[in-house]
Amino acid sequence: MGTFVKEKKSNEINEMNAVSLIDCDVHPYLSSLEELVPYLDEAYQKQLNIGKFRNEMLKNQNNGSFTFPMGRYGNPGHVLRMDAITPSGGIPGSDPKFLTQDLFDRYNTTYGILNIGHGTMGAYHNVNLAAAYTSAANDWLYDKWVESDKRFKMTMEVVPLDPQLSVKEIERIGRKPGIAGINLRVVNIPFGKRHFWPIYEIAEEYGLPILVHPDAENTAEYAPDQAIGPASSYIEWHTTLPIIAMRQISSLVFEGVFEKFPKLKFAFIEYGFAWLPHLMWRMDKNWKGLRQEVPWLKLPPSEYIRRNIRLGTQPIEEPYKPNHLLELIQMVNAEDMLLFCSDYPHWDGDNLKRLFLRFPEELKKKIYFENALETFKF
Amino acid sequence: MDQVEKTLNQNRLVLFPADQLQPGERKLVKVDQIEIAVMNVDENIYAIRNECPHQGISMIYGSISGTMVTSKPQEYQYGMENELIKCPLHGWEFDLKTGRSVFSPNQVSLHIYDVRKEDENIVLYLRRSPEKVIVQDFSCNHK
Repeated sequence: MGTFVKEKKSNEINEMNAVSLIDCDVHPYLSSLEELVPYLDEAYQKQLNIGKFRNEMLKNQNNGSFTFPMGRYGNPGHVLRMDAITPSGGIPGSDPKFLTQDLFDRYNTTYGILNIGHGTMGAYHNVNLAAAYTSAANDWLYDKWVESDKRFKMTMEVVPLDPQLSVKEIERIGRKPGIAGINLRVVNIPFGKRHFWPIYEIAEEYGLPILVHPDAENTAEYAPDQAIGPASSYIEWHTTLPIIAMRQISSLVFEGVFEKFPKLKFAFIEYGFAWLPHLMWRMDKNWKGLRQEVPWLKLPPSEYIRRNIRLGTQPIEEPYKPNHLLELIQMVNAEDMLLFCSDYPHWDGDNLKRLFLRFPEELKKKIYFENALETFKF
Repeated sequence: MDQVEKTLNQNRLVLFPADQLQPGERKLVKVDQIEIAVMNVDENIYAIRNECPHQGISMIYGSISGTMVTSKPQEYQYGMENELIKCPLHGWEFDLKTGRSVFSPNQVSLHIYDVRKEDENIVLYLRRSPEKVIVQDFSCNHK
């Protein structure tokens, strides 16, 4: 190991000092599943092939042993940013102290919301195992990260295939200080379905928003399909992720979730937002002629979206003329919907210093922290 | 010929002895307000602006590699081994010799500097006369 040079430019620090910032997408990483051993009883350690049950002999053989459900699409470069490797050579996002220095200190971040980055078992076929892993991962995240620095808040994961277990998990830890929301992973059941309503009921009661973030999209047996069939490449997969958000928002609105749970907020993170005008306009137009299928909607669909849906800014869309992004937000009155996300340490994260340069100060404040304060539980 | 004339109009700055920059090594050179990454890649010396033209990320953390060169549909061809540096964040690829981006060489470039090995020293040629120069060692955990 040599000496690391990681100097912050002085003007970068000064510019940010005046701004309160809530970063709604920061990713902590497990270095290894072994970190979860203290949080799992032996039955689940054995099934996960960790702790004293660890056995590597047939691990690389077909059906040889437990394999964590990883994404099938490999990034051709680096899926984690190469300037975020920890000083000891560890995986970016695996060292809480280094993350606070490398991200929070640099941008004067007030709070960073931790959304597990190393993966989920949300779409995994063995729901009991997925539930045990999920609880263990929640406790690991709370103990190692949230308790280490007051700037860390976290979303807790639940078990999308089992709403009853999800409710129990929310009852177990959902009121702990530092739990800012519920991370609901996508599966092949649309979010509007009554299957999920028990989760929404307790989420609304506890004042916790639902956060949705890509991960389960291509990892396991219950992952949603990709509309026309599997993508051939990472670029095709990543580019078309917003389709999932568009589809979920339509389901939520048309099924009446926001009539049933009017205070419930959904934050779609890392799905972009430039598609919003299309979605709002198409839904409103269809509602005028087809509303009898969804007679429980009392407002145009776009008004539920504006009231109950929030969207992360990252990965920021880059129009040919930068001003068009501001115009697009103004076009659909989306000012109160946007949440700043760095996505650190992912490869497609955004550098705050270079974003929103031409945005009015009032809008910047909304994006930097006001909208997040209205969305998450702090 | 152009390069010689240009060089004559520039300021010659001796940075450090060449043996202090072995293959695979990088140094960060701060020239007044500008940061320049100087690197030895397979005995070729390169100097680039330490700032990606996209979002300003430090390029000194970038991986050096080759890439899939432009090819016919449904064919892959690897090339340019160790001729490219990639932004450590979004992965934009730049030709170390020219600074030109691979995806849009005529529109998007990384600023590069004239750097040479002369008389066992690494020498940087600059247009402006620098007032303050700081050289720092640098290491990272990847190529």
